This record gives sequence, C-alpha cells and structure tokens, in this order.
Amino acid sequence: MTTIRSALVAPELTPELRAALDGLLLSMADDEFVIGFSDSEWTGIAPMLEEDVAMSSLAQDELGHAQALYQLLAALRDDGHDADAIAYDRTPDEYRHARLLDHGRGDWAMTVARRYLYDTADSTRLEAVASSTFGPLRELVEKIRREERYHVMHATAWFERLAGREGEPRERLVAALEALGPDAATVFTPLDNEELLVEAGAIAEPMAAIEARWRAQLTPTFVAHGLPMPPTANLADGRTRHGEPFRWLWNEFTLVRRDDPVAAW
Amino acid sequence: MTDQLPADRGGTAESATSLEPWEVFRQEKEGDPMRHGGSVMAPDAVLAVHYAREMYSRRQESVRLWVVRRADIHDLDDPDLLQPPMDRSFKKPGGYVMREKLAAAREQSGRAKPKGKAK
Repeated sequence: MTTIRSALVAPELTPELRAALDGLLLSMADDEFVIGFSDSEWTGIAPMLEEDVAMSSLAQDELGHAQALYQLLAALRDDGHDADAIAYDRTPDEYRHARLLDHGRGDWAMTVARRYLYDTADSTRLEAVASSTFGPLRELVEKIRREERYHVMHATAWFERLAGREGEPRERLVAALEALGPDAATVFTPLDNEELLVEAGAIAEPMAAIEARWRAQLTPTFVAHGLPMPPTANLADGRTRHGEPFRWLWNEFTLVRRDDPVAAW
Repeated sequence: MTDQLPADRGGTAESATSLEPWEVFRQEKEGDPMRHGGSVMAPDAVLAVHYAREMYSRRQESVRLWVVRRADIHDLDDPDLLQPPMDRSFKKPGGYVMREKLAAAREQSGRAKPKGKAK
C-alpha cells in the first residue's frame, strides 16, 4: 500500500497541482459530510422503522467517507490541522459542497430525490477517480465505491417506487425534482485548475465530461418514468454560495465543537 | 419488529397496508445452515432485502441472507398432527437400545471400541 506521505510529497507534486488536488478532496469530502449530516436528521422520524435504520446507516457511511477524505486532505496539507479541524472549524462560506446538498432535509420525497441525484452523480465521479494516479485516493475510492454501490441501489429503489405510484408519491417526487433539479449538476462544478488534475491523471476527465456521462446514465430512467431531466446548472458558484438551510445545518453540526473544541466523543 | 406499524409512523392507511412482514434467514459463515434471524416490514422483495441487510448484516454478522414473504410460509401447528396422543416412544432412538448389540458385534469382530470422535 502506498503511504499517504510518500505519495503526496512526491517531487512532481507542484504547488499548483497540490492546490488542485486539495480542491478535489475538499469538494468530495464536503459533499459526503453535508449529505451525511442532512440525512442523519431522519434518525428517529423516518417513515418506517426499517427505513429509519437504513437511512441512518447510509448517513453514517457518508460521514465515514467524509472522515477518510478529510484525513487524506489533512495528510496532504500537513499543516498541523487534523480531519476534525477541517470538518468543523470553518465558517459556512468556506465549505465547498455542491449546492444540490443545500436545500434542507425537506420531506421524504426531497430526500429520495436528493439521494438519487447525488448518489448517481457521486458514483460517476468516483468512477473518474477509480484509477487515479494518486495512490492513497485510488485505494480509498476503491473501498468507498463498494459501499456507494448499495447507496445507489437503495436510492434507485425508492426513486422508482415514488415515480411509479400515481398520486401523492409521484406528485411529491416531481415537486422535489423541480426544486433540486436546477442544482443537481453542481456536483460537477469545475474545480480550480482541474486541467492539471486531468493531465496528472488524478482524475480521468474534466468535470464537464463526467457530467455528460452522468446525464447519459440518468436519461433512460427519467424517460421511462416521464420525468424532466435536471436542467443545465449555473455552475459559476455551484460550490461557493450557500443559503440559509446550510447555515442552519452548520449551526447544528458545529454546536459541540464550538462549545468545547477539545471534547472527546 | 412487530407486524403493526406504530401509530406515529406509516403515514396514510393506504401506505401502511402496502407493507407486509418478511422473514429473514441468515447464514453466519460459509457452510452453516440458514437460520431464522427475525423479520422486517417492507412493501416488496427488493426493499425487504435492503432492510434485511441493514438489520442482519451491517455488523458483518452474515455472509448470506434470504427473505421470504411471511404470507408464502405454510403453517402447521395442529397438535393432533404434531403431538399425537398415543405412545410413540418406539420411534425415538431411546426406544432401541444399541449398547449391548454394539458390544457383542465388536467382540465378534475382535475390534476395539473406536477412539475419539466417530466419523
């Protein structure tokens, strides 16, 4: 196994490439962190007990992925700040998750729609880093993909059930897709200097190409269910502008840390 | 897991009636028999499998799961069929004493009692 240090202090890692890699890891970690916290809000109140356990478990998986990505980022930065510091010690504006994850929990259909849009997008992105030239990221992504495969299955099962049930289930799903659709593709917001990442083989393709793959995969499902495909997103501030629902969530998940930064938990 | 949804879950009556119990069987390690683990409520087989995975394998305690719709299980609990009133002790192994016969057979063949676990 490649050690994190040896791979990340390689001489070919120029400051520009290091910064670009930082941006890639931070965007992936923040996505997992925010959707993990957002979905954990269902713990105790999901529509049925089994789904309560399933959704809480999915949320835990996402936080686990976020933790591993933050640890990788902490090793890359090597500036004395650990994964928790990166996860919790930022202002809301400093988070780089996609705006798709910024809509608040909403009802169950919102959660299903968000999970479906995000999980399919995330799995396409993971595919693009599965053969990354950065060993530690490649090794981590190999493990993450094994769990994300189930996330996509679970999200797809719910998505298809809501879409296929006329009346309230489908109406709520359509309303959720109308609210989330315009932000769905923000997962593919181009990263700063991403051409350097592609050139170095850290990711296989630019975000725009990964988005095209994602759309091609989504189209058959959306067509089969007669649902509107997510429109082109405004990517200018896809990961930098966060609204009120995220400020509320941030306040929740940083509460303990701000109250007692050295608390052991 | 109960068969009835708690009052605070399940939403409309229609959605509640579409849920049904599924029995979950799990194999703890390769080669073990499938053992009943418990049950989950789910609207169909796909979600039943997902929920069985969450309930009975998320701590790596299973290598295989089966889910069976409870309605597909045929029940036999008739005491007249299962616990007959007549003496059936002759059908039990205890009703047929082997020890002396085995000892005699061994003596006849000149072989000692096998040591250790029987194959």
